[in-house]
Amino acid sequence: MQSKCNQFSNLCSGLPWAWCNLFRNPFGEITREERAELAIVDVRELAEHVKDSRSAVQLIGECGRGKTTRMLALEQFLPAASYVYLDEDLSCGAIPSGNPLLIDEAQRLPRDVMRTLFSTGLPLILATHRDLSRSLRRFGYKVTNYPLGPSNDASLIMQAMNRRIEASRLETPRVEPGPVPVPRLSIKDAETLVHRFGSDVRAIESYLYEQVQKQVNSDGEMRFVD
Amino acid sequence: MAKCDLSIELDDEADVLHDGGSTISGTVRVKVDADVKCNGLIVESVWRTHGRGNIAKGSADKLTLFTGHWTAGQHIEYPFELKIAAWPPTYHGHYLNIDHYVAARVDIPWSFDPKASVPFLVRAVCENTQAVVSNTTKQIGGVAGGCIGVAFFGAFTMFVAAFVLGGGGILPMIVLAAIGLIGASFFVVKVVLPKWVLGQVICELERKTVSPGETIKGELSFSPRKNVQINGITMKVSANEQCVSGSGSNKKTHRHCLFESTETLEGATTLTANRPLRHNFFYKIPDDAPYSVELSDNKLHWVAEVSIDIPRWPDWRKKIDLQVLPDGKAIDRGARAPELIAEPSTAVGNDGITFEETVRHLWAVRDDPAKRSTLIDAVTGMSFDVSARIERRLLYGGRDAPNVYRDGHAVWAHADDPELPLVLYIPQALGDEFEQIGRKLWQGRSTVLGWDERNERLQLKVEVLKPSDGR
Repeated sequence: MQSKCNQFSNLCSGLPWAWCNLFRNPFGEITREERAELAIVDVRELAEHVKDSRSAVQLIGECGRGKTTRMLALEQFLPAASYVYLDEDLSCGAIPSGNPLLIDEAQRLPRDVMRTLFSTGLPLILATHRDLSRSLRRFGYKVTNYPLGPSNDASLIMQAMNRRIEASRLETPRVEPGPVPVPRLSIKDAETLVHRFGSDVRAIESYLYEQVQKQVNSDGEMRFVD
Repeated sequence: MAKCDLSIELDDEADVLHDGGSTISGTVRVKVDADVKCNGLIVESVWRTHGRGNIAKGSADKLTLFTGHWTAGQHIEYPFELKIAAWPPTYHGHYLNIDHYVAARVDIPWSFDPKASVPFLVRAVCENTQAVVSNTTKQIGGVAGGCIGVAFFGAFTMFVAAFVLGGGGILPMIVLAAIGLIGASFFVVKVVLPKWVLGQVICELERKTVSPGETIKGELSFSPRKNVQINGITMKVSANEQCVSGSGSNKKTHRHCLFESTETLEGATTLTANRPLRHNFFYKIPDDAPYSVELSDNKLHWVAEVSIDIPRWPDWRKKIDLQVLPDGKAIDRGARAPELIAEPSTAVGNDGITFEETVRHLWAVRDDPAKRSTLIDAVTGMSFDVSARIERRLLYGGRDAPNVYRDGHAVWAHADDPELPLVLYIPQALGDEFEQIGRKLWQGRSTVLGWDERNERLQLKVEVLKPSDGR
């Protein structure tokens, strides 16, 4: 039996974003796989630095600057890599071998585990809040550091957010007569967001989520910045 | 560049509401741009959350519509009919959204897999225990009392540690005394003081599970110990979304109040000492109320909260979790979940069950911790002939890893079909063998140790092979 829905306002009626050709709010949580697919990062450049044993790359930055996003993109790009996230609230879990080995929140590595891993000489990519160069060099590693933050400029923000929007498109783009439009974040909006939130991509996503959510079941043009 | 394009057209209009547990039909269209080998054109009925919470998802049905070769220029259509999940229903809130989709994918070897998906709307027509939120009733302060107990125990432990390790300095004692004082104050304010004035307050609901449009009924009764002025007695019914994003230090809980309604049971008045007061109260849940939902990191929960507002004194309050569920017939759980195993004693007896059967059973209940735990308990200690595809060696087994072989090591692996994740603990004697296997299929004898909760893998202790195995 099928019937139209009519209830508690519009909680199960229609699709709230169909009016702008989206199937979801583009700035909500996404899966790890999708995060890696949508990442804007030059994985080839990073991968070049970890071709040899005892080579390490450090992605250094505060929360919300894109460390994990870059790590997930690298994991997807490098089939032999293994990715490990170190939880703050849990004891150190299993660390599988990989080439390279990707450790997220590497500053949480216990000393004994750090010694075990660094002794292997495996190429490493570390996402960390703290510079671990000294420890790495003690084990003979050649270290390349990438501070994160300054590169999160308006252009990158615009590209990243528009990718999120495109990934939330309701219809599959057709070759003819052409794709149905979806909202786009302008460079001007991106500049405003960077001015307001700096390099904190997570804060920008959070703000945009609320902005878009305010316009549920609306019509007209989507506004991203007040 | 994809070798073919997919699109899906459903037989029904986009705004048609389908009954959970029914079927959905449509057509997958394939436009082939280049000659391609297709290992499977798969179409699936799935549901997923989206919004602020980590994604929860489930699959109701899956079909392989085609395997074989396509030629450039072909336009082909494949009709399908899939079952729809009975639960959860479609929901579009502020932080929580639940949608159902028909998703199609082409498995092309060594190439990008083209995909397409189209959403559709589902309403729940059957009661479903997956919607049931934990049936807790807590009086504000009662829980705090329990927490205080834990805090006191923790404080005592810290005191002993500080005294023993710190040489008995006075600072630890001051800190611990402060912690104890704060905790005790909280308990007194929230629990003791209201009770001192009002006496024992009894507040119960006739039932905590209701359907939209039904009325919740309850009773509040107490006999004040002294004359007391109150600002009023109210009952608030609310529906709240609660979604968790991230993990570890990035974990954040997002809450949104979807609905709130407050009814006054008693206005401002003065209560007489020792004169019993009884209120029967009623509240009609809106006809179109959204259902209670509890999914991984995504919840919609209903709460009734009764308060007695005492001026210049801590209020008495009690929160009762409600379950708002569909009023359809209770479904036959055996029919709904054919993958559910029988009682462990019959499903996994000591004679004849194979590793493959064990894997299939575990795969079916992998998302149900209670059933999984029962099955794991049943097979722990049993030995099997195992086939496993090796994934990676562990450089470090983890702080919580079982200490199986002193000089051995561990590898991650998975069963063949279904691909249940495994962790194999390998003795030193077999170290070379596993080095040579690399990432291929390993076959040998293993004993089940348990379940690795953190990595969601079946733990197996590899036994040393007998020479007669010919390896």
